[in-house]
Amino acid sequence: MHYSKWLRLLAPVLALASIYPACNKAGLDDAELADHTAEYAFPLLSTTINLEELMFQVLNDTLSGDTIVVNPDNTMTLYYSGDVAEKPATDIFEFFKFPPNAPIPVPDTLYEFPFKVPDSVYIHRADVLTGQLFVLINNTVLTDTVTGNFYIPQMSKNGVVFKHPFKVEPGKIVFSQEYDLAGYNLLSDSNTLQFRYEAFLPDGTKLERIPASPDGLPGVGVLLNNFTLSYVEGYWGFSEYPLTRDTIDIDINQTSLKGNVKVKDPKVTMTVSNSWGFPTRGVVKYLSFIGQDGQEYKLESTVFNGDSIDFAYPSLAAGEVGQTKYTHVVLDSKNSNIADIFNAQPVQLIYEVAGISNAKRDTSIVGFLTDKSTIALSMNVELVLEGSVQDFGAEQTLNLAFGDYSDIDTANIEAVEFKLVTVNGTPISTALQLYFQDADGSNIDSLFQSQPRFVMEAAPVDASGNASGEKRTETFVPMDVARFDRVRQAKQMLLKTFFTTANGGMTPVKLLATQNATVKLGLKVKTQY
Amino acid sequence: MRIHSYCSYIFLFFAWITDIRTAHAQQELMLHQQAQLWHATATNPAFFPTDKKIAIGLPSYGLDAAHSGNITYNDLVRTEGDRTVIDLGKAIDKLEPANEVYYDKRFETVSLGLRLGKQWYVQAGHALRLNATVNYPKALAELFWNGNAPYIGQTLNVGFSTTTFDWHELSMGLGRRFGETLTLGVRAKFLSGISSLKTDDSHRLISVYTDPDIYQLTLNSDYAFYSSKTISAIDTSGLGYDLQRNATENGFADNSGWAFDLGAQLHLGKRLTVDVSVLDLGGSIAWKKNTNYFQSKGTFTYNGIEIPGTDIINGTVDSLDFDAALDSLNDVLQFEKSASEFSSDVPTRIFVGATFKLTERWSVGGVLHHQKSERRGATSVGVNAQWAPLRWLSVGAMYSVNDQSAANFGLSIVLKPGPIQVYVLSDNALNAVTPYGSPAVNFRFGGALVF
Repeated sequence: MHYSKWLRLLAPVLALASIYPACNKAGLDDAELADHTAEYAFPLLSTTINLEELMFQVLNDTLSGDTIVVNPDNTMTLYYSGDVAEKPATDIFEFFKFPPNAPIPVPDTLYEFPFKVPDSVYIHRADVLTGQLFVLINNTVLTDTVTGNFYIPQMSKNGVVFKHPFKVEPGKIVFSQEYDLAGYNLLSDSNTLQFRYEAFLPDGTKLERIPASPDGLPGVGVLLNNFTLSYVEGYWGFSEYPLTRDTIDIDINQTSLKGNVKVKDPKVTMTVSNSWGFPTRGVVKYLSFIGQDGQEYKLESTVFNGDSIDFAYPSLAAGEVGQTKYTHVVLDSKNSNIADIFNAQPVQLIYEVAGISNAKRDTSIVGFLTDKSTIALSMNVELVLEGSVQDFGAEQTLNLAFGDYSDIDTANIEAVEFKLVTVNGTPISTALQLYFQDADGSNIDSLFQSQPRFVMEAAPVDASGNASGEKRTETFVPMDVARFDRVRQAKQMLLKTFFTTANGGMTPVKLLATQNATVKLGLKVKTQY
Repeated sequence: MRIHSYCSYIFLFFAWITDIRTAHAQQELMLHQQAQLWHATATNPAFFPTDKKIAIGLPSYGLDAAHSGNITYNDLVRTEGDRTVIDLGKAIDKLEPANEVYYDKRFETVSLGLRLGKQWYVQAGHALRLNATVNYPKALAELFWNGNAPYIGQTLNVGFSTTTFDWHELSMGLGRRFGETLTLGVRAKFLSGISSLKTDDSHRLISVYTDPDIYQLTLNSDYAFYSSKTISAIDTSGLGYDLQRNATENGFADNSGWAFDLGAQLHLGKRLTVDVSVLDLGGSIAWKKNTNYFQSKGTFTYNGIEIPGTDIINGTVDSLDFDAALDSLNDVLQFEKSASEFSSDVPTRIFVGATFKLTERWSVGGVLHHQKSERRGATSVGVNAQWAPLRWLSVGAMYSVNDQSAANFGLSIVLKPGPIQVYVLSDNALNAVTPYGSPAVNFRFGGALVF
C-alpha cells in the first residue's frame, strides 16, 4: 500500500518522538523551593549565678571592712566593721598644765606648788615624757653674791633628786641651763609639787629667802616648757565628765539597689576598747541611727543598765598597764529594736556618751593613765543572710551584637518566640523587664509589653526558710515580625530585675552559699519561604 | 542567613534525588525477551539475531529507576508559571522512615556484531553507564523542609548513604554455536571510571537533637565518604556546606576494572528456547587516582552564649556576641580530606528466560531476573506474549512481579523495516508513559541496523 511505505519509514521517528515528552518535562537546574513555612529553634544564652558570688559582689562593692563567712551549714554571715570613734585620755584629762613661758614663782625656800589635776583625782606618781626646766634666780635686791641649791624633792631620775646649784652676783637675773626632764619621776600624794632651795651670802649667812624685786619678779622661779607625761598613777574618785559625741558612718546599705529589705535577726555589736586604767562607766546620753530615708531611729535596748554600762579596764593591781580591755554590747532583736533600725538601712550612727570615773566610789582602787590611753567605740554588724525582700531592684546595661542575625531578611520571617527558662534554687523570685535600646540608650522596645513579669519563681521554702528544691519557670514571649525587626537592631539592652523572697516577700528565707539560679533564653523563628 | 546556607546542602541533596527521578532495577525483562533485537545481546552475550551476519548498534538508552514507597516525581516537583519548584510538603507524608532511591542508566553509544561463518560471532561496543543507590531517612527531608522546631526533643538521624558511580564500558565478546541447539557467549568489559561518590557505611551518622529546654542543639557527626571527580572540598564556613566540584577529569585508565558476561541459549526443538546469563560478573572498578576520603567526626552541643555568672555579677559582660559563638560550630562540621583508594562493585545480574513459539505470529515466554549490588538485591519474574501482525512490526505485553510491585504491565513495540531495528520497551508501560507520576520507571529505546 502506498501509505504503508511511509508509515514504515516514519514509524521509528514517531516511536522516538512519543517518548520525548516523558524525558523532557522540566529542567531542575533552576528549580526553586516551593513556598512553605519552617520553624527553627536554637538557644541564645544561658548563665548560672551563684548566690555566694552574688552576695560577695553586691556587698563588697560598697563596703571596705567587711567579710562574708560561709558557715558549716552553708548559711552566710556578713561581718561588717564600721568606723572607729576614738577618745584619747589626754582629751579628757589634763595634768600639770604649767603656764607657758612664765616662771612659776617660788616665794619661799619651801613651796608647795598645787598642780592642776582633774576633779577627784589624786596623783601618786607621774612619769615625765618630755619637758624642759629652767630655774630663775633674781638677785637684783641684794648687794652680795648669792650661792645655793634648788631642789625638787619629789622629782628624781634614777633615784637622784633633781638639784640645781646656783651662784648669782648682785644685780643679776640668771636663768639656769635647760634641764631635760624626760625620764624623771614625780611622786606626790597631795596633788602638790614641792620646790625647795637654800641660799647663802658670801659670809655663809643663810638667807631666809631671796627677795622678789620691786617689779614683782620673784627671787626664785621655775619655768617649765613642753611638759608632758607618759604615765600617771593615782586615785580617781567619782566624777562625771563628757566622754564623747560622735557620728559613725555606716555604708553597709549604700548600694544603688532599691527595695524593701527585711533582714531577720541582725546583730550589731558595739565594742568599747578601753586602755584607761581606772573604772569608767559609760552613760549613754544619746544613741540614734539615721535611716536611708533620712529618718532618725532611736535605739531602745535593755542591755544598758539605766542607760549606762561599766567598761572593762586594765588593772594596775593586776599589772595590766598598757593593755586594752574590751566591753561588748550586743544588740539584737531580743534586747533592742535594732532589727527595725537595720531594716531601715541605717547610714549613720550618732551617739553621745558621758563618762563617770569610779562610779562605785571604791577608794581602794589605784588607777593609771598613759599617754596612749584611749577609749574607742566601734560597731560591728553580724548579718546572717536570712530575711525577706520585696521588689529589691537592680539594673544592668549590656551591649548587644547580633551579628548575622541583624542581617536576616525579615521578609522571610513570620514570627519569633523567645523562651525564657529559669531554674531557681534560691528562695527569691525575680521579676524582669528587658529594654532594648539603640546606641544612644533610647528604648526601642521591651521584652514584655507592660510591666515586668515574674520570670523566676522562688524555690519552695520549708518552715525554716530553707529552699527545699528548685523551681523551673518557663516564659514564652512571642513577637511579630515588626517587633523582632526592632529588637534585633538593638545595640544594648537594659536589664531591670526585681527580687522578692518567698510568699511575696512575707516569709524570711535563708540564703545559702550553695544556691544557684540559672537563666536561659532560646528562640524560635518561623520562616516563610 | 546561616539557616539558609545550612539548608542549601540539603536542598542540593533533594534536587539530586529528584533529578534521579524514580525507578527500580535494571531488570530489562522486555528487552531480554526480544532476542532478535541486536541490543538484546546486552542481557545475554549468547544472543545474536538469527540469520544476520552484521549488526550495527545505534544509540540505545535505557533507564531503570525507582523510589521506595509510593512517592513520585510529581510529588516532589511541579511547575508554577515559568518556574520549576521543589515541594517536599506532599512527599514527606509518603516517605517511609528509611527510603531508597535506585537509579540505573545505560547509554549504549555504539556496538558492532559480526557473524563469522555459521558457528562463531564476535561483538564489540561502548556504553556509558551509571548506577546509583541512595538510602536516606525521612528525617532528612523533615529537617530540611520543616526546620528543627517541630522535632524538639527528638533525635533526627539525617545521615544518608549512597553508592553512585558512572563509567565507560568497552566490551568485546565472542560467541559460538554448538550444533543447532546450543549457543554460548562470553563478553569481557573494560570499565573506566568517570566519577564516584560512595559513603562509608561504618561512618554514616549525622544526628541533630534539639533540646526541649531552650532548644540547645546537639550535633553528632561520624560521617565519611569517598569521592572521585565529584567533590574536591567542602567548605563549612558560615554553617553551610559549600560543595566544591572536582574539575579534574579522570583519565581513561586511571580508575579501571573488568567485568565479564556469560550466557547460553538452548533451542529445545523448533518452538522452545531457554537461556541463561550472568552479567557483570566480578565487575569492579578500583578508584586509585583523583580520589579522596572525607570524614567529619565530632560532637557539638550549642547552648547559645554561656555567660559565666561571675561575669554577670562583676558587670564584666559588656557584649553578647552571637556571631562568635556560632563560629565554633564550623569546626565540628568540618570534613577532613585525605587521599584514599576505594572500589565500586558493578551490580551482578542473572537472567533465566524461556520462549515458546505458538505460531508464526505468536509466542509466549517467561523470564527471571536477579540483581545483586553493594546495597541491594532485587528479583523479578515476568511472563510475556509477542504478536507480530506484520512482518516488520511486533508488539508484546508482559506481566511481571518485582520487589516493589506485583502489578507491572510491560509493553513493547518493535519495528523492523528492512535492516532497521527500532524499538521502545518498558517493563511497566504505564509508568513509562507517565514517569513523573509513578514511583518507578523502566524503559529502553534504541535502534540498530542488522544485515
